[in-house]
Amino acid sequence: MSRVAGWLRRYGALLRAAWLQDLQYRASIVLWLLWGVTEPAVALGIWWAIAADGPVDGYARADFARYFFALMLVNQLTIAWDSWYLDSWIREGELNFRLARPIHPAHEAVAENIAYKARTAGMILVVWLIVAAAWPAVRLPFGAGRWALTAVAVLFAAALRFFISFATGLLAFWTTRATAIMELHAGISLFLSGRLAPLALLPPAVAQVAGFFWFPYMLAFPVDLLTGAVHGWAVVQGFAGQIVWLGVWIAAYRVAWTRGLRRYGAVGG
Amino acid sequence: MERWGDETNAEGGTRNAEQQGKIERRGGLQRTDPVMMFRVPTSAFRVLAALWRINVAEELQYRANFVASLLGTLFWIVTALLTLAVFFRHTTRLGDWDYWEVVVLLGVFNTLTGVIEAVLRPGIGRLAGEVKNGGLDLVLAKPVDAQAFVSFRRLDVWRLTDVLLGLGLAGYALYRLGRVPSAVQLAAFGLALAAAVVVVYALWVALMSLAFWFVSVENLSVLFDAIYEGARYPVSAYPAALRFVFVYLIPIAWTTTIPASALTGRLEPGFALVAAAVAGVAFALSRLLWRTALKRYSGASG
Repeated sequence: MSRVAGWLRRYGALLRAAWLQDLQYRASIVLWLLWGVTEPAVALGIWWAIAADGPVDGYARADFARYFFALMLVNQLTIAWDSWYLDSWIREGELNFRLARPIHPAHEAVAENIAYKARTAGMILVVWLIVAAAWPAVRLPFGAGRWALTAVAVLFAAALRFFISFATGLLAFWTTRATAIMELHAGISLFLSGRLAPLALLPPAVAQVAGFFWFPYMLAFPVDLLTGAVHGWAVVQGFAGQIVWLGVWIAAYRVAWTRGLRRYGAVGG
Repeated sequence: MERWGDETNAEGGTRNAEQQGKIERRGGLQRTDPVMMFRVPTSAFRVLAALWRINVAEELQYRANFVASLLGTLFWIVTALLTLAVFFRHTTRLGDWDYWEVVVLLGVFNTLTGVIEAVLRPGIGRLAGEVKNGGLDLVLAKPVDAQAFVSFRRLDVWRLTDVLLGLGLAGYALYRLGRVPSAVQLAAFGLALAAAVVVVYALWVALMSLAFWFVSVENLSVLFDAIYEGARYPVSAYPAALRFVFVYLIPIAWTTTIPASALTGRLEPGFALVAAAVAGVAFALSRLLWRTALKRYSGASG
């Protein structure tokens, strides 16, 4: 029991520090938020134009609006910048003092993620509520069970994206182009995770290929769960996929962390 | 990021460059009769040439960056084409443009990206950080125009390949369209593209001037990326309200849609003159904003 209390105390301190640190840079949080929102907004604009003459494969204009609003929120809740941080920590030796602390550096990263997401997702929610008051198309049908399931799926997706980002960032132990690998991953996920279009609108072969990877579970699955596009057996499959891929990426992170630390020899900090 | 990190190098290089310029200048003075009237402009160009020479020499040390930058650009082009393919699976026209017309626009977009990444982001993109930590003091103390120096102090030569690849993409798309632009259309395209570069530059100056009000924000260039995302598609594809914003308020319509239209013959060639006028106004406004903003600067350290 005292162990649990100890972790609660540690996380309390880390979260407070992360929250206050972010508070210093309010304007830059708004900037990153804007950056995160324009891509889905532009995609929505294009689909809106395409759907002018009627539904596209079952997606009418209102469906696109709901999809991309849900995407903005889920993306902000699950996004992880850790590979960029880790890259600079490792290359510039800022990892050193973090290793000297009696707590794993990943906990600091987790706390920062929680603080950042609470703030930006909160802002998106407020904007969404205001827009929904004026524009019925983006309103979601109320369903307590579905929202609870979505919350769990978002949590899994956030953990999945965190471990992907963290493990990829750890590649900086071996290469100076870890962030380039992450950009490559982001480019592929543009299509396969549903950022550009609902997976149902991709060529069927591409959507099928996406199903063999972790991409749909990062984003598309929680978004579809929130908008009500998946039902029944597909929900179970989605959660199973999330859990399997989360396990795979946690394993990848552990291997990269233990092997990488053995190689690590940067000075400075 | 890593390539802009070595500010000390660039600073040292800058000082050397100025000394070099001075020495050459003195030699020139001895040889010919000095024409004092042209002194300011020639010295400005000399400083610029010296800065870029050093940057090129510095970049040539890192040839692997060339391959990385080339691969990055090719990856971006493939991604953009696949994105279009997804949209055009469900439609035949986007804002009344067909597939290859939008590809012409993507080529223009990529060309401008090359200019942004080669000159603007490594140069004026660093301004926000310098306003925050006082590094701008060093710039203001130099006997050159601060805006010009800040804007053009750096040249990442490798990213200029984006310009070539972009023009190549636009050319290929024109070939697929089966349209051969006339000499007048090509001239109009050249003028519209030059105007587009000026508009993009004016946007950067305007956004970076915000740094004098929002001192704590180091990553103001993110704001440009957010806005510029909208220039990837013809403005006619957007809802009317957004189109109005992109044409009149945040003039990104003039950066890609207009040059691409001039090239595909969608617009009368004479319209390029309007584009040039818009560029002139945008430049003047951004210069005004820069002057106003600079008055707020009070230095932080050195």
